[in-house]
Amino acid sequence: MGEVKLFFGPNHPGMHGNFSVHMYVEGDTVEKARPLPGFLHRGFEKLMERRLWYQNLALIPRICVPEPDINEACYAMAVEKIAKIDVPERAQWIRMIVLELARIASHLMSFPGIGGTIGLYTSSFWGVSDRDRILDIFESLTGARVYHMYIIPGGVRKDLTPKIQDLIFNTLNYIEERLGEYETLIFKNRIVHTRLKGIALLDKETALELGVTGVGLRATGVPYDIRKVDSYLFYDKVDFEVPTATEGDAYARVYLKYLEIYQSIKIIRQCLEKMPEGKINVPISEGNALRYRVPKGQAYVHIESTRGEYGYYMVSDGGEKPYRVAVRGASYPQTFIGIEKYLPGTRIEDVPIWLSTMDVCAPEVDR
Amino acid sequence: MMNSMSNTVEKLKRIVNNLDITKVDEREIKLELPNEQVLPTLLALKEDGYSHLSLITAVDWIDEGKFELVYILYSWDNGGKFLITTKINRDTPKFVTVKHMWPIARYYERELHEFFGIKFEGNNDMRPLFLEMWDDMPPLRKDFDPFEYSKRKFPDREYQKDVIHEAKIIRGDIDG
Repeated sequence: MGEVKLFFGPNHPGMHGNFSVHMYVEGDTVEKARPLPGFLHRGFEKLMERRLWYQNLALIPRICVPEPDINEACYAMAVEKIAKIDVPERAQWIRMIVLELARIASHLMSFPGIGGTIGLYTSSFWGVSDRDRILDIFESLTGARVYHMYIIPGGVRKDLTPKIQDLIFNTLNYIEERLGEYETLIFKNRIVHTRLKGIALLDKETALELGVTGVGLRATGVPYDIRKVDSYLFYDKVDFEVPTATEGDAYARVYLKYLEIYQSIKIIRQCLEKMPEGKINVPISEGNALRYRVPKGQAYVHIESTRGEYGYYMVSDGGEKPYRVAVRGASYPQTFIGIEKYLPGTRIEDVPIWLSTMDVCAPEVDR
Repeated sequence: MMNSMSNTVEKLKRIVNNLDITKVDEREIKLELPNEQVLPTLLALKEDGYSHLSLITAVDWIDEGKFELVYILYSWDNGGKFLITTKINRDTPKFVTVKHMWPIARYYERELHEFFGIKFEGNNDMRPLFLEMWDDMPPLRKDFDPFEYSKRKFPDREYQKDVIHEAKIIRGDIDG
């Protein structure tokens, strides 16, 4: 039998986002794979150069949907770094709560979502419905469910009222309880064991050489996490662990995501306890915020997202608009080099497992 | 400045003459280098633990007639960042590849070629990565005007037929 050309995506039930992989297949084994991005390139970097500093806040959460707050935090922190703005302490704690909630929401979409790719649909339905509870918190806090535009340069937009704190507290209890059921459904399931163990292997040396970050790297036994190594906000003042595994396979990655939710819950509980009273933002300019000018300078800010290192390189020439913004998508290495190098040799049905457990997110690569 | 970062800077001073150092932050140092000293610096930094290539990007300084290339290196050991920048000529944008040092650089360079038109010697794979059937100047250059482009590419169309009039005929409101 000869080699067959096969397009996987951009529209496919096992594909995450608008992204395509061009495969050359012999039998059911992939011989060669070529990543094919560009299906949703919207030119965010150019758009940002043509909008005011404040207008961009409405634009950037659109880059990646599962975890939009990462973009807001990166952008706001880069502006603050260039303009040397001191953010009030309370605002920083609230930011941490929001980022960790977004992290849980993203993980809840991602790790039960593996069920969709291997035929265990119950788990993905559970994940989506539980994620909705986090979106309810966001709705009461920011007024929006998915794109919040909540973290702004200088602080956050609204205060975290005691009522919302109660809601967060109750939701976390609920999610923690549910996680036990996920354990039974997913990690004690024979389908999952058969389909994920020993699949999509990535070893430590290769992961480091390729520049893979996040869960993909931690599943090879390296405890690297930007929240620990290059701590931002108050991550150095809370107690949490970075779960690691040594197998480096798809199962280890999915299980790590599950364990990370426990850590996020732990962080949020500490934040709610330690958060002081006080101001939640500082005025960054006199008069109209839309006419805000950031002084000359440049900065690179990076944050640990669920998919790895997410960064913004920003340059200001002192004008009303950013001079240049470059976005470093967290899943860039695993999307391009990873697909090209690691899909050959796997079987067709394991391709979505690589894409799903490595958290390939098309919009942050395409932008 | 952290100890290990200043140690690295001391080491670099021995390799590179007239090092232009800007301390951006406690853990962030920017180095502006002449073109030929970029590769030795990157190599020295990689060997010194700054082995994670976060990003390669470019800034278009159109008034100066230069492109500024930015390499961001990160160390997982101490959380330090190095921003290595160099300026190249805007009219003949050319630089050397670093794909032999970091595999992912191949794609960053391909992206820069597509969006800025910068060529990287040693990297032959310069096919378009994101844009399809692009026929204008590289879009992230400052003199590219998206508005003009969209007006040229998608001109205002006039409908050949009056669709509302036709709909009224079909619905029976008026006689055709």
